[in-house]
Amino acid sequence: MRAAELVDVFRGEELRQRAPLRQFLGIVWANLKILLSYKSWVIMDLLSTVASVVMYYFVGLQVDPVRLAVSGWGTSYLTFSLVGVATSNYLWTCLTRLSHSTQHEIRGGTLETVAVTPVNMLVFFLGLTARGYLVSLLYLIGVFAVGTMGLGVRFILTPGSVIAFSLLFVLMLVANQALGLMAAGIVMVHKRGDPVTFIVAGMNEFLAGVLYPLEMLKPFPALQAVSMMFPYTYALDGMRRALIFGATVTDGNVLADIVILSLFSAILIPVGLKVLQWGYRTIRVLGTTSSY
Amino acid sequence: MKLDEIIRFLSEPVQEGKVSTSDKVKAFITRDFKIWWTYKLWVTLDILGSLTFVATYYFVSKIVTTQALMDSGYIADYLTFAVIGIAFQHYVFSSVSSLSEAIREEQWAGTMETILASKTSFGTFLLGESVFRFIIGSYFLLASLGMGFAIGARFNVTAPSLLSAALVALLLIASHMVVGILGAGAILKLKQGDPIVWAFSWLTQLFSGVLYPLGLLPSYLQWVGAAFPLTYSLDGLRRCLMNGEDLSSAVIFADVTMLTLFVVVMLPLSLWVFRKAYDSTRREGALGQY
Repeated sequence: MRAAELVDVFRGEELRQRAPLRQFLGIVWANLKILLSYKSWVIMDLLSTVASVVMYYFVGLQVDPVRLAVSGWGTSYLTFSLVGVATSNYLWTCLTRLSHSTQHEIRGGTLETVAVTPVNMLVFFLGLTARGYLVSLLYLIGVFAVGTMGLGVRFILTPGSVIAFSLLFVLMLVANQALGLMAAGIVMVHKRGDPVTFIVAGMNEFLAGVLYPLEMLKPFPALQAVSMMFPYTYALDGMRRALIFGATVTDGNVLADIVILSLFSAILIPVGLKVLQWGYRTIRVLGTTSSY
Repeated sequence: MKLDEIIRFLSEPVQEGKVSTSDKVKAFITRDFKIWWTYKLWVTLDILGSLTFVATYYFVSKIVTTQALMDSGYIADYLTFAVIGIAFQHYVFSSVSSLSEAIREEQWAGTMETILASKTSFGTFLLGESVFRFIIGSYFLLASLGMGFAIGARFNVTAPSLLSAALVALLLIASHMVVGILGAGAILKLKQGDPIVWAFSWLTQLFSGVLYPLGLLPSYLQWVGAAFPLTYSLDGLRRCLMNGEDLSSAVIFADVTMLTLFVVVMLPLSLWVFRKAYDSTRREGALGQY
């Protein structure tokens, strides 16, 4: 092979297109192995997740059921907060996973190494994301199991409500993952801190009604307006309706939530991909794939 | 310079330095502050994060009754109760966990071995890192309490109750330095996921009465809370800042006594545990590993 051909091979993207599924599974597996090598951390993380549910059980003992019922969410604060706490924790972990992993790879000097191998970088980033989704899913199941089996939370689970919940859950992930993609792109360039996910996670916790009914925001129209700008607000509303009242996709409110989340996804995902692409290109052009 | 001259130079005993420990600690604080201040956006977001968390409990307080608080002897509303719990729990947790994170950073950056190869002892290093973390934590603490006050938390203080609160706060810091030292030892050995700080975080959130009075816990769980200094600290601080009580109150005096005992017993023990972890890591040549 002559030098010119070699240069063409390095310039080309052909090698990167090969066996994307194998590459994806390899990246997920590698990351799972790294995670499992820190067993004490995994156990502590699981225990702290479970503890957070138990904590809201005790917070719920102070809540006035009448005031909660007036807001239209039944009388059990634990049931109300469990959906919020479980899904917001899951979302937060998924959102931050990609930017944290990217930061980790940059600091470890391995992002540059991966970038010069034939690994498709989009597949690489998807693999990093998928690992977060898989591990966090176990925590999510654990949280719901503790709530329902250990603390007496009662959800109305019918085929229709489960389908509605699942659909809203997937749409929540898709719409918010766009923000995760943006965060990873920004972290690559700015190296420290992922302000996008930090702001979104903080605002979700504060304004999407994770711990209190959104009706409490009525005296503050400005805050109410801001809360409407986050996809998670709609996802949480729909998921609560599905699990607490057994609502299905035919319910007007749930359907509206689904439509709005779909719109968010359609607009945000291309933007997220663009920002990720911009971040990756920028650090390659600047030669800062390993600097932090 | 020839090889044997270089070897002779390196073999010479190191002269005693003239830099005092306090100057080194100041240097650590200055260095860490400069690094911290480099990330201004992150600092702003961190403060905003603390403030929105406090604000969240303003809305939670709208659906909460105060019966359980009154049954536990606190004279105030839930917002004030929660603001004190959140602000001080966050203060100690962020101070303690950031100490482990600082050690982890040094491991990552490969500067841990460099610092320890210099004439700086690990004790000085640890002190420098801790003092900076607690200073920064205090900044967030004041911001959280200020935010709480702005949104309606009401503190009932007199000069004696404020002095008593300051004493409890000092004991809170001293007792949690112990947790920080234990966490630092754990991170030296385990490298990732400091189990001590993690366990401290979730156990105190659950059992120390951060968001609810301990009276709500079943009696068989209340003894768990009694094992943590945060439980006594929060109880003492709340009684001083919400009820206007001072050291003459038997309950606050008991809290102060328990905290003092904890510091006297646990501080030497934590230093001993840390020394063991440090020596073992040095023997393994793993100080720079991550």
